[in-house]
Amino acid sequence: MPWPVNRRLIGRSHRRLDGPDKATGRAKYAFDVKRPRMIFAKILRSPHAHATIRSIDTAAAEKMPGFRALHIIKKAGADVFFAGDEILAIAADTEEKLDDCLRAVRIEFTVLPHYVKESESLRSPTNTAGGAGATNIVGVGDLATDNFAEVAFNGAAATHQGDYGIAVISHQCLESHGLVAEWDDKLQNLTVWASTQAVPATAERLRVVFGLQPGRVRCITNYMGGGFGSKFGPDIQGETAAHLARTARMPVKLMLDRAEEVTVGGIRPSAYGNVYIGAAPSGQIKFYKVDCYGTGGTSRGQTVNFGLLPYVYGPGIPNIKRKHRVVRTNIQISRAMRAPGHPQNAILTELAIDDLAAKLDKNPMEMRLINLPPNDSADAAANPRTFPGMRATIYRREIEIIRRMCNWDQNWHRPGAGQGTIRTGLGMALHTWGGGGNGPNPTRVTINANGTVLAQSSSQDLGTAQRTVTAIIVAEILGLQPSEIMVDIGDSSFGPSTGSGGSTTCPGTSASTLKAAETARDAFLMALAGRLNTQPAMLSIEPGVIVNRANNNQRIPFRQACGMLGVPSVQGNADWPTVPDRAQNAALREEWQTRLTNLGVGGVQVAEVKVDTETGVVRCSRFWAVQDCGMIINKLACESQVAGGVIMGINYALYEECIYDRATGRQVNPDMEFYKLGGIQDMPNIYVHMMDMPERGVIGIGEPPTIGTAAAVGNAVFNALGVRVPYAPYTPERVLAALANRR
Amino acid sequence: MNEQETPNTEPSRREFVIAAGTAAASTSVLGLAVLDAPAAEVQGGAAVRAVGPGGVQVAFTVNGQKVQVTVEPRVTLLDALRNYLDVTGCKRVCDRGTCGACTVMIDGKVIYACTMLAVEAQGKQIRTAESLIANEQLDRVPAAFVNADAQQCGFCTPGFVVAMKAVFEGNANPTPAQVEKGLQGNICRCGTYEQMRDAIYALCNQKRGK
Repeated sequence: MPWPVNRRLIGRSHRRLDGPDKATGRAKYAFDVKRPRMIFAKILRSPHAHATIRSIDTAAAEKMPGFRALHIIKKAGADVFFAGDEILAIAADTEEKLDDCLRAVRIEFTVLPHYVKESESLRSPTNTAGGAGATNIVGVGDLATDNFAEVAFNGAAATHQGDYGIAVISHQCLESHGLVAEWDDKLQNLTVWASTQAVPATAERLRVVFGLQPGRVRCITNYMGGGFGSKFGPDIQGETAAHLARTARMPVKLMLDRAEEVTVGGIRPSAYGNVYIGAAPSGQIKFYKVDCYGTGGTSRGQTVNFGLLPYVYGPGIPNIKRKHRVVRTNIQISRAMRAPGHPQNAILTELAIDDLAAKLDKNPMEMRLINLPPNDSADAAANPRTFPGMRATIYRREIEIIRRMCNWDQNWHRPGAGQGTIRTGLGMALHTWGGGGNGPNPTRVTINANGTVLAQSSSQDLGTAQRTVTAIIVAEILGLQPSEIMVDIGDSSFGPSTGSGGSTTCPGTSASTLKAAETARDAFLMALAGRLNTQPAMLSIEPGVIVNRANNNQRIPFRQACGMLGVPSVQGNADWPTVPDRAQNAALREEWQTRLTNLGVGGVQVAEVKVDTETGVVRCSRFWAVQDCGMIINKLACESQVAGGVIMGINYALYEECIYDRATGRQVNPDMEFYKLGGIQDMPNIYVHMMDMPERGVIGIGEPPTIGTAAAVGNAVFNALGVRVPYAPYTPERVLAALANRR
Repeated sequence: MNEQETPNTEPSRREFVIAAGTAAASTSVLGLAVLDAPAAEVQGGAAVRAVGPGGVQVAFTVNGQKVQVTVEPRVTLLDALRNYLDVTGCKRVCDRGTCGACTVMIDGKVIYACTMLAVEAQGKQIRTAESLIANEQLDRVPAAFVNADAQQCGFCTPGFVVAMKAVFEGNANPTPAQVEKGLQGNICRCGTYEQMRDAIYALCNQKRGK
C-alpha cells in the first residue's frame, strides 16, 4: 500500500499544533484583523419578507459624521424576497458612526404577499419567492420502482403509516460571515482576510467580480470560526466590502452581526413527510413509500437527498415510491449544511422503521440487522476496498460493537414499557456518507539547511485540525515529531486547493502531502548521499536520525544532516493527477482513489434519553457512536469530530429551530437566546468508537457523525414514551401534545 | 430596586444611561469622576452631569498593562477592547450576553464584555485569555483544553478558558460538576463539550469514570 506500513505517528492521538494559540486568543481570525486606517461597513436590509423598493434616499446618511462610502446593492424598483435581503451598504469610520449613518437612510417599500411557513406556501396559488414558475412549488420529484402499486403490499405482515419531519435550522457559525478587504494604492491588487471554507475560490470570485488579472486577489484565512457548509465564497457581503474599500480607498471590515448571521448566513432546509412502510413477518421491509416536502427558503434545491430515500436500507427494499416537493418560502437561501439532505433522510426512514418494528414486536436492532443493505458484489469484485462492496459487513460489525458498548440487550425495552414520571428510552440510527478526496491540492514540503521543515498548501482549517494532519504525515515520513513541522495553510497565493465541503479536505490534502513529503525525503537523501560519497539507497530515516549503512550505521541527527546538504533547501512538490489522467490511467486511479484515499463510510449511533412526562422535557442522557473513516490520521481529532457531530445532532433534535412570524415574515429568534443551542450541562457523555481500517485509505469524517443523531434521539423518545413525537425539535410542547393525543 | 437603594457607589448600567440621557445636551466632555459619584448625587437633578455623546477618555488595565482609549460612551467594553485596543481574544458573537465568547475577568469576576460599557470599566483590572500564556508557558487551564482537544474552530474557546480559569481562581478544589456549572454561560457550536469534560476531570485530578 502507498501509506507507510509501519506507522509511528499516523493513526495515533496528537494534540493540535495551533491549540495554544486558539485557547489563549492569540489566533487571529478574519473578525480579529485590524488594518491601518481600517473602517467598518454594514449592510442595510429589508425589514419586509416580500416587497418592491419604491425609493432609496441616502442624502442625509452621506452627510453624517464619519461617512466614507456607499454601495447600492438593489436599486429602487427591485424586489426583495425575505426579511434580511440586502439593499445597500455604508462604510464609516467607526461602528458607532456607521449605526448613525444607517439610521439616516430612508427607504420606501410597497409590501407584497409572503409565506414563511412551508404548509401555507404549499397551498399558495402564486409565486412569492421570485424567479421562474407560477407558484412557489419547484423541483418536484416523483419516482417509483416498477409496478409499485401492484406488488408492493403482497406479503406484508404489518404496515405503518406516519408523519415525520424536522424544522429549518441555522448554521449559526460563531465567527459570522464576512471579511476585511484592502486594495493597494493603484486599485490593482486586492487582499482579503476572509472567514471562508474555500480560500482560493473566494479570491477567484472577487477577481472575476472586479475584472482583475490572475493573481491580483489574495485571500488569507489563517483561522476560521466555524464553517458547516455556508462559507464557500465572498458572498454579497464580501463583494460589498471590497466595493466599499475601493470607493473609500481604505481597508474595510464587514462581518455580519448575530441577527444577520442567523437570518442570512444560510439554513438547513426542513423536511416533512408521510411515510407508508410494510414488512414481511420476518421483519424484511417489503415496501417504502414517502410523500415529502420541505423548504430551503427562496432556494430551489432539494431539501432531502431524493436519490437516497429510503436512507441506508434502500438497496435491500424491493418496492419504493417517493415524491418530493420543494416549497419555496420568503426566508433566506439554504446552504449545504453538514451532510445536506442526509439527516432529513434519516428522519424520514429511521423513525418509520422503529414504528414498524413496534407493530411487529421486533427489537429495532434486530430489525436493522435484517434489513442491512447487502454488500454489492459487483462493486466488491471491481475494487475490494469499496464501501458498497462491504457495507453490510461494516454495519454488522459496528452494530455488534455498539450493542456491547451501550448494553442494548439489557437496556432496551419495548416502547413505553418504562414506569414513573421520568421515562428512559434507547433509540438507534444508521448513516452513510461519501467523503472522498480530490484535487487540485498541490502541496510543497521544504527541508531547510537550518533543520526546519515547512509544509505549504492553500487549504484551510475549519476546526478539524487540518494543520496538524499535514504535520503528522510529513513528520511520519521524515522521522520527526509533528511539532517540528511548520505548516502554512490558508493563503490563496500558494495556489489552488479544493474547498472544504463534503468531508473531502483530509483525504484531498493527505494524499498530496504524503507524496510531497516522500519527494522531499528522496531529494534530501539524494543530496545527502552526494555529500557522504554514498548512494541514497544506503541511507535510511529513523526517528530523529539518518542512518548511513555505508559507514557502520552511522547515525546522523536530522538537523545536522540538513546542515550537510550544501544547498539552502530541498523541496518536494506533489498534487493529485488531473481528472483526465486518472480516467485514462487505471493505476493512477487505483493509487489515488482507492489506496491513498477512498470514498464511502457507514456509522451507527445509539441515544439514551430521559423524558419527563409531566413537563415534556427531553434530556439526552448518554450517547454512543461507532464510526468508520478508513485510515485514521489523528485519532484524537477524529474522536473530536464525531463527538462534535453528535452534539450538533442533539441540538438539531431537541433545541434548534428558526421560528418565523407569519404576519411580518420576520424571524423572531435571530439570536442565541431564543435560538437554542445546548450548553455543556445539556449534553450527555458521548462514547465514541473509531473503526480504524487503514487498508481503505483516508476518508473524510466531517459530515457522517451528525447525520443519524437526530433520528436516534427521536427513536429514543419513542422508546421512552411508546408514542411517536412526529416533528423535531422534540420540545416540551410537542412531547406533551403527543402524550395528550394518545390519551 | 430604585436607585436610591443601590448599595454600592458604582453606577449600574441603568444609572449611567439615565445620567447620560438626561444631560445629553451638555457639551463639556467630563472626566469620569462623575461615574464614581454616589448614586444619590447622580439622581440629584441639578448636579447631574454626563459624558458624551462625543469621545470620552477611559483608562483601565488589560492583562497587567495600563491602557487609555477615547471612545463614545455607547461603546461596549468588548468593542473598546477589540476595535480600539486590538485585544481580540474576547470574541464578539451574540453581542447580547448569551454566548460567553466575550467572557473576560474584571477584578477577578467573570463578565460578558458585551454587556458592559467601556466607560464603566474605568480604573478596573481586566484579564482576557491572552494573559494565560507567558514566555510560551501555557497556564494549566488552556493547557488542559489543548491536551484534551477541547476545541475545534476555536472561536468560543478563549471565552470558555477564561470562565474555567475563574472557577479555579474562586475555588482551588472544585468538583467537575462545579466547573461545568461555571461554563453554563458559554456556548460552543462545533460541539467540544465532551473533550471539555476530559479537560475538567484532568484539572480536578479526577479519573473520568464514563
